[in-house]
Amino acid sequence: MYGWHLRILRVNLTTHKVTTEDVDPKIARDYLGGRGWAIHYLYKEMDPMVDPLSPENVLIFATGPLTATPAPTGNRYMVVTKSPLTGALAHSNSGGEFPTWMKRTGFDMYIFEGKSPEPVYLFVNEDQIEVRPAAHVWGKDVHETTDILKAETSEEARVACIGQAGENLALMAAIMNDKHRAAARSGVGAVMGSKNLKAVVAMGNKNPALHNPEEMRALSVDTSKNVGADVKKGSNMRIYGTSYVPQVTNTLGILPTRNFLQGTFEGVNNIDGDALKNQYLIRHTPCYRCPLSCGRLTEVPDGPYKGKGEGPEYETISSLGTGCGVSNLAALVKANYLCNEYGMDTITTGMTIAVAMEMYEKGYISEEVIGMPLKFGDHDAMIAMIRKMAYREGFGNDLAQGSYRLAEKYGHPELAVTTRKQEFPGYDPRGSQGMGLLYATSNKGASHMEGDVAYEEVFGVPVKENPLTTEGKPELVKHFEDSFALMDSSGLCVFVAIRYAFNKDRMILPQRLAEMMNFSTGAGYTPEEALKAAERVYNLERMFLIKAGSVPENDTLPYRMLHEPLPDGPAKGKVVELDKMLPEFYKLRGWDEKGYPTKEKLIELELPLN
Amino acid sequence: MMIRVKLIANYREALPPEAKHGVVELDVPNGTTVYDAISRFDIPLNDESVIVLNGLTVDMNTPLVEGDMVTAFSAIAGG
Ligand code: SF4
Repeated sequence: MYGWHLRILRVNLTTHKVTTEDVDPKIARDYLGGRGWAIHYLYKEMDPMVDPLSPENVLIFATGPLTATPAPTGNRYMVVTKSPLTGALAHSNSGGEFPTWMKRTGFDMYIFEGKSPEPVYLFVNEDQIEVRPAAHVWGKDVHETTDILKAETSEEARVACIGQAGENLALMAAIMNDKHRAAARSGVGAVMGSKNLKAVVAMGNKNPALHNPEEMRALSVDTSKNVGADVKKGSNMRIYGTSYVPQVTNTLGILPTRNFLQGTFEGVNNIDGDALKNQYLIRHTPCYRCPLSCGRLTEVPDGPYKGKGEGPEYETISSLGTGCGVSNLAALVKANYLCNEYGMDTITTGMTIAVAMEMYEKGYISEEVIGMPLKFGDHDAMIAMIRKMAYREGFGNDLAQGSYRLAEKYGHPELAVTTRKQEFPGYDPRGSQGMGLLYATSNKGASHMEGDVAYEEVFGVPVKENPLTTEGKPELVKHFEDSFALMDSSGLCVFVAIRYAFNKDRMILPQRLAEMMNFSTGAGYTPEEALKAAERVYNLERMFLIKAGSVPENDTLPYRMLHEPLPDGPAKGKVVELDKMLPEFYKLRGWDEKGYPTKEKLIELELPLN
Repeated sequence: MMIRVKLIANYREALPPEAKHGVVELDVPNGTTVYDAISRFDIPLNDESVIVLNGLTVDMNTPLVEGDMVTAFSAIAGG
C-alpha cells in the first residue's frame, strides 16, 4: 500500500509497554485516515461511557494519507479522544511541522492507553521507541518544554506537548506542537495530562511511498501555483492571516461581543488586522509546505505586555478580544502568548472569562469570589484570569471547568453560550443561520471546524449565500460536515483544501482532493466515494456520541441564541430559527425524526448496527 | 446625498488617502445604486468580491438612500 504506512504505534502508559500493529487495507480505505481511522479504533476499542479523565480513556494522534506527501499543506494531524469538556467526542486538528515528523517515524497513528504512574514523554525515532521520564519538564510551559526536549533528543526532532493547563486538568487545555500550533479544542490537553504524558517527540526519514509520485508532484505544483496566483493578487490570508476577519464579521453584525450580548464591537478598529500589522507584526509564518502561510509572528516590544510569539488569529480576537469587550491590542496579544505558553484553547478560555464578566456585572458572582472586579473590557483582569485558570488557583478552579459548568455553579447556566458544553467560535449564528444548525448538530459541540458554512455565508467562498435565511441550509450544512470530515481525514489544511482542492460550486465537490488521495494511496476514490467515506466517518462519530450519552436532545442551542434577538447591527431582531432547519437536516442525514441514525443508513454506510 | 463606502483589508488600497479605517464618505446623486457606488473603486466586481449594503445581502441594482454604507471585501481568502 502507498500513502499510508498502515502501521500503528500503541503505547500502554500504565506498563510503558510499546507495541506496533498493521492496519487492514480495507479499513484504511473505508475510513480514509486521520479523523476517520481514529473514530474507527476508538469506537471499536473503548466503552464510550468511560470517564474522560480516567486511564480507560484512549488518546489518539492520527495523520492522514496526504500528511508528509508533497501535497501543499499536507502537514496536519488529528487528536481524537473522549472530551472532558463535552463528555462527547473530541477531534482537534493541528498543523505546523510535528505531524509531518510524526508520520516520518513510519507510523500513521499513535494510540495511548492507560495512565503512567509518573510523568513521562514518548520519544520516537523510527524503530527507536522509548517512554522516558519527564519529571524535569513537568510544571514547565510549552516553550521551555519544547526547548528542553529538543536539546536532550535532537534539534531534528519536533515536539507536541502540554503546558501547565494540561497538567492541572483545566478543561480548556490544548496540545501544542512546534510551540505555537494547537490541537486546541475540547480539552484534549487535559486528557494528555490525566495520563501523565507531558510530550511526544518525533523524528525520522520514513516518508510514505506514493502510488504515483510523478502525478502527485505535478498536481501539487499546479495547486501551489494557484495559491501563488491569489497571493500575488493580494490574498488577505497571506497579508493578515485571519486577523482581517473582525472587520468582516463586524460588518455583518455577527462578531461575538461581550459574551454574545451584541453582534458589533465599537472598538474593532483597535484590534483588527491593520492594527496588528502596523503595530506588532514581524512576518508571516507557514506550516510545513504551505504556500499560503497564514501564521503571524508578532512582538510587543515594550511595556507591561512585552512579549514575542505567534498570533492572534481571528478566533482569539473574537473570544479574548471582543468576547470580553477588550480593545487593547497589546493586552490581547499578550493574552494569546500566555494561552500558547500554558497550552490553552483561546476560544474556550476567552468565552469562559466572558461569561464570568457578564455574571459579575449582573451581580451573580461577587468581587470577593473572584478576588477582583471583572468588568467587560478590563484587559488586566482578563489576563489575570488566564493564569488562574491554568493553575486552577482560587476562582480559576471554577473557570477551569469551562463556561457551562461555571455559569451553572453560580445559578445561571442559560448565560453560557455553548452546545454540548463547548463554547461558540466567532460567528454569531443569529446572523448566520447555517452556522446555528452546525453548532447544534456538531459531533464535538459548537465548532466552526466541523463544517464551516461561514465560508459561503460570510466569506463568499466559493459562492455567496445569504447568511440570514434558512432555506437550503440543512443541505449545505450536511455537505460541509461531510467535506470537513474528509479534509480532517486526509491530512490537508482546510484553509487551502477548501479553496484549491474542491470544485468552486455551491455544493463543493472534492475533485482535486480525491485525485491527490489517489496519487498518494492508489485507492482509486471517485470524489463521490471519498465523500461517502467521510459520511461514514461522520455517522460513526454520531453513534459514539449517542453511546457516550450525548443524545440527540442535545442538538440544540443555548437560550440566548433561540430567545434573545440580536440588539444591534444588520441581523438586529434575529434569533436562530433552528426548528425550521433541524427536521430537514435529520431527514437528509437519513436519521429518524428524533435524530438517531436509522438501521437503513447504517447498513448503507456499512457501519456496525450497535 | 451622502453615503459611505467601506473597503476591508487588502481592498483598502483602492481608497483615497482621506479614508479613515477603510471608510470614505461620498456625495452621490439620487438613484445611485450599490453597483454605481462600488464601481468607482478599483476592485474586482465579480465573484472575487463580497459586496453588502448595510451588512445585508442585496441585489447590486438596489438604489441607495442617504446614510447607506456599502462594504466590500475580497472573497479570495475565507476564514
Ligand atoms: S493555511 Fe495557515 S494553518 Fe493552513 S497550513 Fe498554511 S500556514 Fe498552516
